[in-house]
Amino acid sequence: MSGIVAAGVYVPQFRLSSDELDDAWGASHASGVDQKAVPAADEDTLTMAVEAAERALEDAAVERSAIDVVSAATTTPPLEEGDFVARLVRALGLPADVASATATQHTAAGAEALSRGLDADGTALVVTADCPEGEPADADHPFGAGAAAFLLGDDPAVAVEDIGWYSNETPGVRFRERGDRHVDALGITTYERDAVREAVTEAVSSLEIDPGAATAASIHQRDGSFPYRMAGDLPISNEAVAAGTVVDRIGDAGAATVPIGLLSALSGSDDDLSIAAFFGGGTAAAVACRGTLSVPGLGGIDAVEPISYAAYLRERGYVVDGEVSGGGANVSLPNWQGSLAQRYRLVAGSCPDCGGATFPPEGACQECHARVDFEEFEAPRTGTLQAVTVIGQGGAPPEFAELQQRDGAYAAAIVALESDEGTISLPAQVTDVDPESVSVGDTVEATIRRIYTQEGVPRYGVKFSPTE
Amino acid sequence: MRDAYVLGAGQSSFGSFPDETYLSLFDDAFDAAMDSVDTAIDPEIIDEAFLGTLGVGGRQIGLSGPAVTEHVGLHGVPTTRVENACAASGYAFRQAVTAVRSGLVDVALAGGYEVMTDASSDHTRWWLGVSGETEWERTSGTTFAGVYAQMASAHMNEYDTTVEDLSRVAVKNHANGAQNPKAHLGFECSLEDAVSAPSVADPLNLYHCCPTTDGASAVLVASEDVAREHSDTPIRVAGCGASSGRVGLFQRGSLTSVPASTRAGEDAYEAAGIGPSDLDFAEVHDCFAIAELLAYEDLGFCDRGEAGRLLREGVTDPDGELPTNTSGGLKSKGHPIGATGTGQIVEAFDQLRGEAHVQVEDPKYGLTHNVGGSGGGVTVHIFEKEETGGSA
Repeated sequence: MSGIVAAGVYVPQFRLSSDELDDAWGASHASGVDQKAVPAADEDTLTMAVEAAERALEDAAVERSAIDVVSAATTTPPLEEGDFVARLVRALGLPADVASATATQHTAAGAEALSRGLDADGTALVVTADCPEGEPADADHPFGAGAAAFLLGDDPAVAVEDIGWYSNETPGVRFRERGDRHVDALGITTYERDAVREAVTEAVSSLEIDPGAATAASIHQRDGSFPYRMAGDLPISNEAVAAGTVVDRIGDAGAATVPIGLLSALSGSDDDLSIAAFFGGGTAAAVACRGTLSVPGLGGIDAVEPISYAAYLRERGYVVDGEVSGGGANVSLPNWQGSLAQRYRLVAGSCPDCGGATFPPEGACQECHARVDFEEFEAPRTGTLQAVTVIGQGGAPPEFAELQQRDGAYAAAIVALESDEGTISLPAQVTDVDPESVSVGDTVEATIRRIYTQEGVPRYGVKFSPTE
Repeated sequence: MRDAYVLGAGQSSFGSFPDETYLSLFDDAFDAAMDSVDTAIDPEIIDEAFLGTLGVGGRQIGLSGPAVTEHVGLHGVPTTRVENACAASGYAFRQAVTAVRSGLVDVALAGGYEVMTDASSDHTRWWLGVSGETEWERTSGTTFAGVYAQMASAHMNEYDTTVEDLSRVAVKNHANGAQNPKAHLGFECSLEDAVSAPSVADPLNLYHCCPTTDGASAVLVASEDVAREHSDTPIRVAGCGASSGRVGLFQRGSLTSVPASTRAGEDAYEAAGIGPSDLDFAEVHDCFAIAELLAYEDLGFCDRGEAGRLLREGVTDPDGELPTNTSGGLKSKGHPIGATGTGQIVEAFDQLRGEAHVQVEDPKYGLTHNVGGSGGGVTVHIFEKEETGGSA
């Protein structure tokens, strides 16, 4: 079995505190969750997956072209049926001939995706991303968001020593009806706890390691106290459980919680044994890892950009109707699809005659106006704002009305990306920032976000956010 | 190539007239243009028509030009509808001048029309975005005001232009428009009002943006013979300039100028054999306050970065060296997109004949500057009042 070569984590910046929940509802049904991560209005599991994967790839010695398998896990894909891995492949600039796999349907999907990647012949990218929703009055309270990406291959920093499985039908523990946004649980407390604990205990016990030796354990964490309860029948210390628990700071990020917890544990591990124990849909899976690695993006777990409960309802779209009224932008899907190399990878053209740069690389050269065959290049993903405006609440074009209702005024800028191949300019939104604080001259970096949704199809592309 | 002259020019009232149609508004403009001719002409001498409109609202996407000419009784007259966004009728006028100069026709009608205020706000917002570059600019969430606001941000950053400078455009143009009974927003505003108005697209606020307007305008372009036969004060089209540019601001190389304006201006000056210092007045395309500042610099009224100073020193006030937008401009007179270009020529015609509401003293040369989108298409025209008595 191969192991973890590199990894990345992405957690959205917004945090809703349980105190806010308590104020809003008179009670917080999120035991042991101090605050939870909230995806911004232009984020979803695809954009979080891209961000986590970019972080895993940025420090890795592995070329994108060398990736053989992409395996994704999420219970909340942006479309219940539609492109997910294929969008990841394009957004990340991976080869079109990668084998793809998508695991979904339950919170142990991350284990299935990891298993697929570990079994792969070659290098695998495994991404888990989730942002579950529930009935706002109670089930929703602990639900957070986040993503974790693993690059698996030979010569790993962290060896995966074993995986164990256990399946048993335990209906009603956690489920979502077909066509419903809201994850539910029947709340048969003792039955649910016993079912999960039994499955987790069996899966971990099947590993050919001594669980008592683990210095960290990321155990199915639907709230802050749950992992400790679930480890109760195992010889795993509370300190080890604490080392792998992140739900208290990011909330229950569905299929991504245990992977994020595992990466958090691995980054602090000292070549010791770490355990991940997944549960979902009646299936438990346990993974034994040994080693340590640095994980870009882990700092995001503790980042705090507090939002109010009203802002939470808006950002998540609980109170906004997403219909485009008055007509959307006249950019056909085939045209949009044809520009993905630009929208994701910033592919520009260099003029063989004058050396000027043109974006998008089509038509005559923007510098010398000659009709040439451009030499294509990827513009750098960090640049400078040349011009910026703030589109105030209510002022957006119709296809951006939903974004604006959810996220408020936004900054629209012209960004210069400068490299040896030339400088290109492109218009783009600046996201994850107070728009009033954005100025000409600011340094920004590219991030892939949902641009807008039209005729039911979300469209993704580049936005920029301030550099740290 | 023979000369072309403006024989007559007129406009409907500009404003919000949800009960009017593009046909009824053009009725008013056509009547006003015909009435402005010194010696009454028979409409039958009109050989051809070029009419500009963006077609906001989509009401008659196909063949609105012939619909208009037939409506006003120009039965059977060949009519071409011109679409170049906000420069549609500037280009329609250019076509009419070209037709007359070529000798193909003796009298051509140029004009424009737009109805913008009778649709829902969502529908209107959609239409206001159709002249920005669609695939990238629009999909970055910008609005029309947003693109000009980006230019303003870059200009302010590079040249220390201030919000007060932008606001002086509103103060000046509203003061002028308040004298114009056909202006859409014919009221005055103070500098304080203009500086403190609610933001539309930072750094542009409400007073830095023109209104959406309904209106129509019409200009009769004629050969020298016809002009001298019917006019006591023939107004010669002394110079025509026009140029295209990339539709998207980001594709243009400069964020602090409109290169197509510069090129169109240079061509017009060269054709007229004059320079900016010879102008007695100008009507420039002030759809947003920054656009008027850019026009000053692009058209050579001042050096780069000096436009704010021109406003501060009152150079473009009615009593300044180069009165600009004495009609009220797009800001106060209004901006019925397709009608704006020939609407500017109505003011030039009136000024040169001494009939303007804010009259410049005995002008000889006037300039009109009409911009499509944020600079994808520009026309500049220079008009000359010929000395009567001495010639012909």
